[in-house]
Amino acid sequence: MDNSNKILLASSTKNLSLLRNFIESKAIDFGFDESTIIQIILSVDEACTNIIKHAHKYNENEQIEIETKTDKTEFRIIIKYKGNGFDPNDLNSPDMKEYFSKFKVGGLGVPIMKKFMNKIEYVHKNSDYNSLTLIKVL
Amino acid sequence: MEEFSINTKNQENIEILYLNGFLDAHTSVELENCLEKLIAEGKYRIIVNFDKLSYISSAGLGVFMAFIETARDNAGDIKLCGMSDKIYNIFDMLGFPILFEIYKEENSAIGKFS
Repeated sequence: MDNSNKILLASSTKNLSLLRNFIESKAIDFGFDESTIIQIILSVDEACTNIIKHAHKYNENEQIEIETKTDKTEFRIIIKYKGNGFDPNDLNSPDMKEYFSKFKVGGLGVPIMKKFMNKIEYVHKNSDYNSLTLIKVL
Repeated sequence: MEEFSINTKNQENIEILYLNGFLDAHTSVELENCLEKLIAEGKYRIIVNFDKLSYISSAGLGVFMAFIETARDNAGDIKLCGMSDKIYNIFDMLGFPILFEIYKEENSAIGKFS
């Protein structure tokens, strides 16, 4: 496995499995247990799926950079991308009883990220720079 | 390794789908097409077996949400079974057991259709 903490991927759902493998190996190295690793993988998958869909509108010429940074207790995944970004913290999670009673579809990516990660940070400088950081504490 | 595949069988007038691999925004299109075809053919009694599924993201969860209402409106259902704890926890965390019947064993799901 590549020891680099950073990967650059074409913005395509085809690359989600590569992305998950990358995050999994870094999360294992950091020492998370299996159930926490799946939560982190799922959160990063959801974040990147949203970017591919909404910021890049499935344009595979766009790119997503994913980097992991760690200290003693924190595992940070920094996702950088161009285009129209948004702050997941601005989105309220749906009322799931209402969600199911109305047979809604979609919109669960952000609630998943919020439930599984300890903190989400978003920085938008301009259309050429969005940075989304997902943080999980050991 | 193949990322995702579906095997199907018909038993007691129930369509049983066996999911294998990883279900995400890329592979969920295959499941969507499969369920769309069954519904179009008037096959509303469906069981999805997760025994060989290693991963599911919200794109996969959304596929079941898209078809369950039509199945139930036509005296059918989409019942789920065979989930690992890892997969079940994702469904459970989002509250899916409110809407979906989820069984450990495929036979239990079959029994609920009769």
